[in-house]
Amino acid sequence: MPPRHAQEPDALRGSIDLLVLKALALEPIHGWGIGLRIQELSQGRLDVNQGSLYPALQRLEHRGWVESNWQSTENNRRARYYSLTKAGRKALGEEVEKWKRFAATVTLVIES
Amino acid sequence: MSRIKGLLARTRSIVAAKSSESRMEEEFRFHVEMETKRLIEIQHLAPDEARRRALVAFGGLDAHRESMRDERGARWFADLGADVRYALRSMRRAPGFAIAVAITLGVGIGVNGMVFGNVNSLLFRPITEHESERLVALFGSDTKTRVASQLGYEDYLDFRDKSGVFDGLAAMRGIPLNLVVPWSSSAADMVWAELVSENYFDVLGMRPTIGRFFTAADEGQATPAAVLSYEGWMSRFAGDTAVIGRRVRINGSAFTVIGVAARGFKGLRTFGFWPEIWVPVSMYSVVIPGAPARPQGRGGGPWMVFGRMRHGMDRAQTEAGAVHFAKQLAEAYPATNTTLSTTLLPASTGFDHPDFVKPAVLALASALGLFASLVVLAIICANLANLQLARAAARTDEVAIRLSLGCSRGRLTRQMLAESALLAIPGVLIGASMLTLGPSTEAAMVPHFQFRVGFGSTIDGHVVAFTAGVALLSIALFGLVPALRSTRARSLSTLIGARRTSTGRKQRLRSALVVGQIALSVMLLVGATLFVRSLAVARGADIGFDQRNRVLMSVNVGLQGYDSTRGRRFYDDVLARVRDLPSVASASWAFPAPFDTYGRGMSIYVEGLATRSSDGTVGISTTVAGEDFINALGLRLEAGRSFTRADSANAPLVMVISRAMATRLWPGKSPLGLRVRRDGANGPEITVVGVVADASFDPLAPPHQVRGYLPLRQNYRDWQTLIVHTRDGTPGAVSAIKAALSSVDPALPVFGVTTLEQSVDNGLNTPRIAATIAGFFGALALLISTVGLYAVVASGVAERTREIGVRVALGSTPSDVMRFVMRGGARLGLAGLLVGLVGAAGMTRLMGAVLFGLSPADPMTFGIVPTALALVVLVATYIPARRAVRLDPVAALRNE
Repeated sequence: MPPRHAQEPDALRGSIDLLVLKALALEPIHGWGIGLRIQELSQGRLDVNQGSLYPALQRLEHRGWVESNWQSTENNRRARYYSLTKAGRKALGEEVEKWKRFAATVTLVIES
Repeated sequence: MSRIKGLLARTRSIVAAKSSESRMEEEFRFHVEMETKRLIEIQHLAPDEARRRALVAFGGLDAHRESMRDERGARWFADLGADVRYALRSMRRAPGFAIAVAITLGVGIGVNGMVFGNVNSLLFRPITEHESERLVALFGSDTKTRVASQLGYEDYLDFRDKSGVFDGLAAMRGIPLNLVVPWSSSAADMVWAELVSENYFDVLGMRPTIGRFFTAADEGQATPAAVLSYEGWMSRFAGDTAVIGRRVRINGSAFTVIGVAARGFKGLRTFGFWPEIWVPVSMYSVVIPGAPARPQGRGGGPWMVFGRMRHGMDRAQTEAGAVHFAKQLAEAYPATNTTLSTTLLPASTGFDHPDFVKPAVLALASALGLFASLVVLAIICANLANLQLARAAARTDEVAIRLSLGCSRGRLTRQMLAESALLAIPGVLIGASMLTLGPSTEAAMVPHFQFRVGFGSTIDGHVVAFTAGVALLSIALFGLVPALRSTRARSLSTLIGARRTSTGRKQRLRSALVVGQIALSVMLLVGATLFVRSLAVARGADIGFDQRNRVLMSVNVGLQGYDSTRGRRFYDDVLARVRDLPSVASASWAFPAPFDTYGRGMSIYVEGLATRSSDGTVGISTTVAGEDFINALGLRLEAGRSFTRADSANAPLVMVISRAMATRLWPGKSPLGLRVRRDGANGPEITVVGVVADASFDPLAPPHQVRGYLPLRQNYRDWQTLIVHTRDGTPGAVSAIKAALSSVDPALPVFGVTTLEQSVDNGLNTPRIAATIAGFFGALALLISTVGLYAVVASGVAERTREIGVRVALGSTPSDVMRFVMRGGARLGLAGLLVGLVGAAGMTRLMGAVLFGLSPADPMTFGIVPTALALVVLVATYIPARRAVRLDPVAALRNE
């Protein structure tokens, strides 16, 4: 049975995956940190639904692009840290290319 | 690599669902706490407000939880459990339905498995594990007539040693043997055996279960060695491994048991007696009394020959090589081999003489059998699907509501499929247990001869796989179709009351199917009832002889090497000793005895008798008998006399005839003193000296058989049955008679020890099996058509709920509604009955020949069957009709 994704449309789901991969490209980090980093990188302009990061992370993990383990934060709290796998790094490159093509096409259409 | 990591992560999250849940909760908690802290620090909010905002930013907790559960498939499992529980509940609500499904489906699957079990042993089970596809049978073939023949031994040797075509070629010949086991008196018997070339087991590539086989290296020297079949080893020697190296007596000579063949090996013949013993051809003159030391002969003979094709050669090439070599033989031996060519048959699963059974016929018959049983299963599935549809129709509202509430169609379909699968489980179990019954029912169903016959069907991987496939297919058929049908997206239209009534065409198709089923079950029931009635008539019929207190036992003195002088003396000595026993009233030799499984006959020429044959002869059945046979068998002498000692080999030939023979040959005249000629117009004259009342010798033949009794003294036979009339039925009499017989020649095995009553009973085995099978399938067909009829009537009620509601609202009484519903079902039943009776009338005309003393138009049969059917129709329509009566008209109409 295919998973339901009633929360976000396809395009947005794809973009969440991309954002998560990009956020993890720097260094391993926990889920909350990913949300924070996306906000920082977008200079506060992107405010993703924070909870929807977790289904995305699980999806990416099942796909073999992300792996996770328990670690301690600076304040000595237990947190699940996520990191990119080799395949995830490769996928990030491809996803970025795809997104650029997509964005360019949409731009082309709306500016013509 | 990371793909595997992903897979592992997914598996972990499914298998360890609990830890995934707690990990998720911990992550969510961590996230919200961190966010709350951040909001307090950066925006200086109050802790409560900060927490509220953090939760808002996170979004719906439950939605995210569900989304994650969905993604990892946990939901799927949780739902499955719910489906199963739901299905169990609905099964408990309708146990009758569950039982009908279990029985019809189970029997349908089981019958398929059993039929395939037989087909498998005929067509697919290899004779040997070692490259059986390269085994071929070599037959002679007449260059002019193309008639196939077995081979002479010398031709076989040349094909083996000089043709260069085969990788090994073996010869075999089936023969009866007298077996005596010195340490076990009960094991003495006449058994079926095969005389084989020494390389027989080498060519098969078989390993012995225990001991060893004779091999090509034994060729040339006389080797008194015997190999036992696995089944024979089990039944006669209780599977005792100590039998290896011990000596048994075969036709009076000592043979050493050297090995036991592979389990399940019943020789290479597809249809033939199962050999129990194999002996090497070097013992030819011992096992075939009066034969030369070595078998000879060219240009056709009694040997079945098979071998292995060489590697790299296919059947066409091998056959071309063999035909080419046959031409060389024809040139070398013009006297015998001029018209002898050869033909090859594939032998991987066994073979038979191609004029006896054509392999294509075998395949066709198997395919037909399988097709028939699959059609039966398909009909069962169609009925059950109808039944499910009827139930689903009753749940249309529930389905519609669930669909409009956002339940996915796949989810609903799966739930219904789970229900069907669960319903099918008891059926599959019944089918599986029927499958295991297959081999034992076969043993009960094959005719009981002196030697064992049958398919030897077993349950191997093929059979299990086939049956499992059939079971899955039927579940899909009867589960998937209704599931897809009833969840078809029509949610809104249904809810607002625009319920579609079923189209007339669909209903007509269902009705036609049911009528066909009823008709078929009527035909089967008529056949079954006729068989059962015929059996009862046969049991009660006057068989013309007295079966009480008659003991039978047989000997074959020819196998023991007796010549006719010694044989005659033996017969006389035995009778003298047996008659001296106080418990014996009379005794005589005869063959064949009544209800024996063998028949003998001869052709006679009668002056002035019109016949259809070109030489003017007629065929009669014969029994060769001693002087006192009339008393010993309890026959009734109607005229003339029995045989006396004076009717010796040198005296004029005489015979006693049956009343039917007297009437057939000389109607209206006294036959005493009249003469017939044996074999033809110039044959020796035989004078009729007596007439006996008709007696039934064959359970399947009419009692008024044209039968002649010939004196043993004038017609020496080496295989005879001793028939003894004892004064009382004491079991001691049997052993006393056997002891008297054995005292004349202790080395001679006595077989077929039985009573005439048992023999008659055994003779009725075949009609009894016919009655059982026909009864079984008749009952099965009745059950199937009951389910079918019920399904159609029930779905009719479900789909016409509104109509019935309107009728009730307009003042129809419950009995009106009941009559209205049942009338539809009764009409179908009546149509089926009429069609079936017409079919049965045609069918029974063909059955006339196998019915014993019963008219095919037996009024009782044609009375019983419609009555039984009427009862069934009543039951199948009453239950849904009662449901219709209970309908609440307001509820039925509320959707309007």
